Amino acid sequence: MPQTGDLALLQGTLDVLVLKALMFGARHGYAVASWIRDTSDETLNVEDRALYVALHRLEDRGWVESEWGLSENNRKAKYYELTTRGRAQLRAETTRWTTYAEAVFKVLRAPS
Amino acid sequence: MKLGPGIRKLLRQPPRARAVERDVDAELAFHLETRVDLLVSRGLTRDAAEAQARREFGDLRAAREELAAIDRGRVGRERRADWREGLVQDIRFATRALARRPSFLAVTVLTLALGIGANAAIFSVVDATLLKPLPYADPDRLVSIWSEGAMMPGIFVQVRDGMRTADPIGGYSGGSAVSMTGASEPARLVQSEVTSRFFDVLGVRAAIGRTFLDGEDQPGRDRIAVLGNALWQQRFGSDPQIVGRSIVVDGVTRIVVGVMPAGFHFPSPKVDFWVPVSLDPSPANIGRYWGSSQLNVIGRLRPGIAVERAEQEAAVLVDRSRSSFPWRMSDEWGKGVRVIPLERKVVGDVGPMLLVLFGSVGVVLLIACVNVANLLLSRAAAREREMAIRASLGAGRARIVRQLLTESVILALLGGVVGLGVAAGGVRALLLLLPQGMPRVTEVGIDARVLVFTMLTALITGVLFGLAPALRASRPTLQAALGATRNAGGTLARRRLSESLVVAQIALGVVLVAGAGLLIKSFWRLHQVDVGFRADEVVAVDIPIPSFSSDTANRARAFFDAVLDDARAIPGVKSAAVASVLPFGGVGSMGSSFASEIEASPTPPGGSAPMLVRTVVSPDYFKTMGIPLVRGRALTAADREGAPPVALVDELTARRLWPNADAIGQRFRPVWMKPWITVVGVVGTVKRDSLSSTGEIAVYMPTTNLAGFWAPTQMSLVLRTTSPLSTLGPRIQSGVARIDRTVPVPQPRLVQTLVANSAARTRFTVVLLATFAGVALSLGAVGIYGVVAYAVARRTREIGVRMALGAKTTDVLGMVLREGGILAGAGVALGIIGALVGSRVLAGFLFGVTPNDPAVFVTVPLLLGLVALGACVIPARRASKVDPVVALRSE
Repeated sequence: MPQTGDLALLQGTLDVLVLKALMFGARHGYAVASWIRDTSDETLNVEDRALYVALHRLEDRGWVESEWGLSENNRKAKYYELTTRGRAQLRAETTRWTTYAEAVFKVLRAPS
Repeated sequence: MKLGPGIRKLLRQPPRARAVERDVDAELAFHLETRVDLLVSRGLTRDAAEAQARREFGDLRAAREELAAIDRGRVGRERRADWREGLVQDIRFATRALARRPSFLAVTVLTLALGIGANAAIFSVVDATLLKPLPYADPDRLVSIWSEGAMMPGIFVQVRDGMRTADPIGGYSGGSAVSMTGASEPARLVQSEVTSRFFDVLGVRAAIGRTFLDGEDQPGRDRIAVLGNALWQQRFGSDPQIVGRSIVVDGVTRIVVGVMPAGFHFPSPKVDFWVPVSLDPSPANIGRYWGSSQLNVIGRLRPGIAVERAEQEAAVLVDRSRSSFPWRMSDEWGKGVRVIPLERKVVGDVGPMLLVLFGSVGVVLLIACVNVANLLLSRAAAREREMAIRASLGAGRARIVRQLLTESVILALLGGVVGLGVAAGGVRALLLLLPQGMPRVTEVGIDARVLVFTMLTALITGVLFGLAPALRASRPTLQAALGATRNAGGTLARRRLSESLVVAQIALGVVLVAGAGLLIKSFWRLHQVDVGFRADEVVAVDIPIPSFSSDTANRARAFFDAVLDDARAIPGVKSAAVASVLPFGGVGSMGSSFASEIEASPTPPGGSAPMLVRTVVSPDYFKTMGIPLVRGRALTAADREGAPPVALVDELTARRLWPNADAIGQRFRPVWMKPWITVVGVVGTVKRDSLSSTGEIAVYMPTTNLAGFWAPTQMSLVLRTTSPLSTLGPRIQSGVARIDRTVPVPQPRLVQTLVANSAARTRFTVVLLATFAGVALSLGAVGIYGVVAYAVARRTREIGVRMALGAKTTDVLGMVLREGGILAGAGVALGIIGALVGSRVLAGFLFGVTPNDPAVFVTVPLLLGLVALGACVIPARRASKVDPVVALRSE
């Protein structure tokens, strides 16, 4: 499961990140990994293995679907896409995370 | 870009890698290659780039396995869901397709229901008798211990006390008729005498009260009884306070100590209650203790003991006990000690008969399957286009086969469900038909095991008759099916298949009918046997001896003299007599044989004494039974107590005991008696207990000798009369009641019925096998009719052309009959071979017929051939009436 990067990833966090990465359309695993790394300014340094496990788990749960296609560099690559259920899951998780993060912020910044 | 050897090695696929693993590897390979390419383009060396990519990735090997495991689970789930969905579709489709052809559905389901139901019914009997373990604790440790049939009490005691390999050990008698008197009506019941630990061996407890305690088979402690559940309900109104009440059995008062549970029927369902056997070694009881009283012995092996070891030990014990006999036993005595699983003893010799029936009913099902397969084949012809369209729309062959199999399995399961109804009726009929004394009949019925068997049979049946047609139908040539004509392509092959099915069917029919023919002929031969007496117009009724405390023999004689006087006075009675044992009378013969000494040829020391079977009779017995007096004189009223002891022998006995001399005037005696008995007459030989028996050494003695060495518990009254049983019964009963109202008198029976009952098992087998053969015959006829009729229908056009070209009606008739004849001939020929092989298993059931009886083997094929040709006549006539004009226009 999630491994330590510069920031320890909480259980289940990776799933949300992967779902988010697929929000803009089908992507293969490498692209998902690069997107997470780049978007988080390399703060979230996820091990590739964990990421793939997350992808396959999500597929197993029916949140994403996969299909073989051709990559930018003309190679056979496996593309992942959100299913309707996956999209709903992403929305729910985003709300949950935002609420949670805001709550934690509120507590941390509260005047003593 | 290519990957370096390190990564390639890691990703190398095992031979025959599954698609899942291949996909995972391809996905990971893409990731690593892309990453390495990028790093190289940023200026790293290839080695450094690969190292970094792998480091970033983490444990590659573990990842592969983890990902593959996740995917396998998902793929498996998806596949199963697909399969289920497909099956639901198939079932929906099949039900619709079947519902469209209700007559086809009805014919196939009924055919199958008959076949499956008959199998289930026979299986219920086979299962109850042969397969189910005995209903006792740890039944595989129960054994039967015997030597020469059964053991004398004197030997039993030594075996019981000496055996180390089995514990406990018990003995029982098969059951004897006794009179129960007391408060209610006197009744004739069956009691089994058992030793104290008999119930402990079986591990059965009483439902109420207790069974016998150790030592209760000793004189003085043995005046007790355990009731069977049915007796307790019927005679004692299920009295919960029964324990402690007393009953009177043959004049002896016994205290009831317990009631057995409802399912307990050992050694047979005829037994009404159990009493302790008296193991009394006193001199007064010497004849019984060392001779006439015989016990069947059962034991429970200690855990881990093999039957063989127990047998060795029992053999040693029996051999050692020889010296304790009060007289010298023959050297051969006690050599045949056997220990066998109790189950085998209980089942006895019905196994082969049941297996023959089971096999035959299986053949009937097979024939039914062939019929249904043929129906499906001709149906497949009609559906060829449907299949071709499905195939052209992308349905794989496996998919089509599965769909067709679904149909046939649904048919078969419907057949199974209806068949259960058939089986329920069949079991009821079988129970009525089963010969008396079949073991474990009380356990026969439709239970969960029969249910499972039926549905499994149905399932297998469905695949069996569905597979060949399905494979055939799934392989039509496209153009043949989609094109307009139907004459090309798969038709020829399909015809071959259905023709060979019909040949197989006729062959199987021949085997069954030949088997039935052999048994019917045996049965007929049995009825031709001369029993040695005229059984017609003879009525028999067993009358027990009234219980007296002393002087039994004289009082018994007076009682029977009175009974005879009364019987002779009944209008329509021509003559009357009593006998201790009747031919074909069954159990009554227990203890009637004795070791004897012949004056003219003394037994050498250590030799075995001849065993004589004795019947005690009143003087008119031979006249009443129609047994001829050959030489000498008959018994008379003067052969009474005090007169010199005399006997009659039959011709067979005269020849065997005194081959070179006249039997009259010869003398013999039981080994333990002083006075000699003189033979005064020779009578005709009679069959004693079975039509196929060759006979024992038989002697007849007057009732005078009763007191000598034998106390009978009952005598059979025989009357020669034409009066109906319904009026005789009450008349005899009231007559006996006037003499002694404590004597229960059962219903009289015709001696002819007794003789017929002795062949009941053969009759049962014959009736069932003949029924099966009849069903096989008609199914075979329907089968060949179907195939020939279909062939004619298919060739209507060809026949029309022939007739237009000048063929005569008779030519067409001949052509069709010839075709049917070839099929029938091939089937009959194969069937004869099969029957010659198969009839060997019947050898043990045949009487007066060899397994390859020429008459049967000529008649049966002729019969089958005729039936087959007869089935062809209808389509042949239809063919000969084809109107050429209509036929040519039809396509």
